[in-house]
Amino acid sequence: MGFLSIREVSLAIQGHMILDHVSFDVNQGEVVGLIGPNGSGKTTLFNLLSGFLAPTGGSIHFRGSDITNCSPSVRAQKGIGRVFQNFGIFRDMTLEENILVALEALPHEQKKLLGDMKFLVHRTLAMVGLEKSAKKKAGALSGGQMRLLEIARTLKCGKDLFLLDEPTAGVSPKMTGQVSGLIAELKREGKTVLIIEHDLPFIGRICDRVIVLDVGKVVLEGTPDEVKQSKELQEIYFGADPTT
Amino acid sequence: MSFLLHLITVTCILLPTIVGYNLVFGKGKIFHFGQIGLQILAAYPLWISIVLFDQYPIMGLLLGLISAFVAAWLLAWLSFRLDPDGLGVMSIAVHLSALNVVLNWQSVTRGALGVPGIPRWSFLADNVSFAIFVIVAVSVWCVFVWLLDRSAFGRKLQALSEHDWYAEALGISRKNVHIVAFLVAAGGALLTGVLLPQYLYLLSPTDFAFPAMIFVVMCVVAGKPGSMGGAILATALLMMLKEGLRLLPLSPGVVGPVRLLLFGLILLGAVWYRRDALFPPQREI
Repeated sequence: MGFLSIREVSLAIQGHMILDHVSFDVNQGEVVGLIGPNGSGKTTLFNLLSGFLAPTGGSIHFRGSDITNCSPSVRAQKGIGRVFQNFGIFRDMTLEENILVALEALPHEQKKLLGDMKFLVHRTLAMVGLEKSAKKKAGALSGGQMRLLEIARTLKCGKDLFLLDEPTAGVSPKMTGQVSGLIAELKREGKTVLIIEHDLPFIGRICDRVIVLDVGKVVLEGTPDEVKQSKELQEIYFGADPTT
Repeated sequence: MSFLLHLITVTCILLPTIVGYNLVFGKGKIFHFGQIGLQILAAYPLWISIVLFDQYPIMGLLLGLISAFVAAWLLAWLSFRLDPDGLGVMSIAVHLSALNVVLNWQSVTRGALGVPGIPRWSFLADNVSFAIFVIVAVSVWCVFVWLLDRSAFGRKLQALSEHDWYAEALGISRKNVHIVAFLVAAGGALLTGVLLPQYLYLLSPTDFAFPAMIFVVMCVVAGKPGSMGGAILATALLMMLKEGLRLLPLSPGVVGPVRLLLFGLILLGAVWYRRDALFPPQREI
């Protein structure tokens, strides 16, 4: 069983199959890309992994324990961190408060190990060059800065599994490099990352393995090079070649 | 002078319940309208047990506390099982059910007549000492809620109000935070329920009717939802207006409707002006 183990997970809404017996493992320290066309069920799978949706079948194990019926907050306390597609930060709170609230939500034992929270908050902000804006409302940040803040916050909150939903969406090309640098840092720190992304070159650069979802099913799995060269991927993204 | 003292006293008496409600409805954006229901369920067991069943004050206080906390827990439970509209309607139902029980269970509550002869503690017999006591007690309560508002709990409540998914993904338990918020609101309702009947020497169901809830909502909305200072200022100004109407040369039959009309217009204006704070656009994930 992998660090994260998804076994025969299905989700049907009003008889419509959104995810159909999805199974795969993610090993500790691995960076796995999850790709597929719009509506293939990638974000839905993330919602199931974070506990916001309950599967109609199958099970999810994290570090060997069954988390299928755990609430989102319990999963987060077990070490699953999520970065949302539309910037999961609190825009009416200051940057400082955005980090602080995440640190304060950690389990008691973990909090005791953190030491001075204020120092940690400033170190986290400094990591992404936002320490001078600590007292500013997060809503005033650019898309790229919001993304950096969100990833840095998740990174510093002791999570072990990162679910990144399109981390480069809404981020300028210049900032994409910084986001990519942060993900590389996650990898260096031995964190496990599952990442949804449409930018295939980006996936190719940072992922160890790629899983392709289409209409709620896993249709392909392999290294980025294997997946890129596969005919199935071309068909999924661009349709069948009429000449073949 | 006595009018000013009365104004200060009634404003301070209402503040605990309004500040508590501001934490849940204003800061937490939890759409419930059951604060006066909580007040009924705190005040009636407390005073009935003391006045009609000759129990010790401490026993009455304990009964009121248990009753208010059970009701708060029920509202919190409803808050994480119903969508906002459903919770709003259900909390009104809780309030009206509690009101109907006290109005109709006449053998215990004396119905619409209320419970007269509510005793004041001996050291609070005159209105000046009562006002001083109320100011001190309410200040302590407000400082407690202010500290809570600025603590980790306040930040978690704000995060949940902004986006519950984002907050829960960080490990914030919606259940725990909502339960604490409702318990604080119940504590405020209890404090108001302890002080108001003592001030009036009467526990009257008319003080718990629906217009009382409208007044509480109005104070929170007009003062900027979530802002404790705003809620306190709005309460003071609106109470001044409410009590000031008594000084106008109008017959008592006219004052009531004029007050309702005026407050209706103020609430309408406040909700319109604060619509973005009350109904923020839902962000997608």
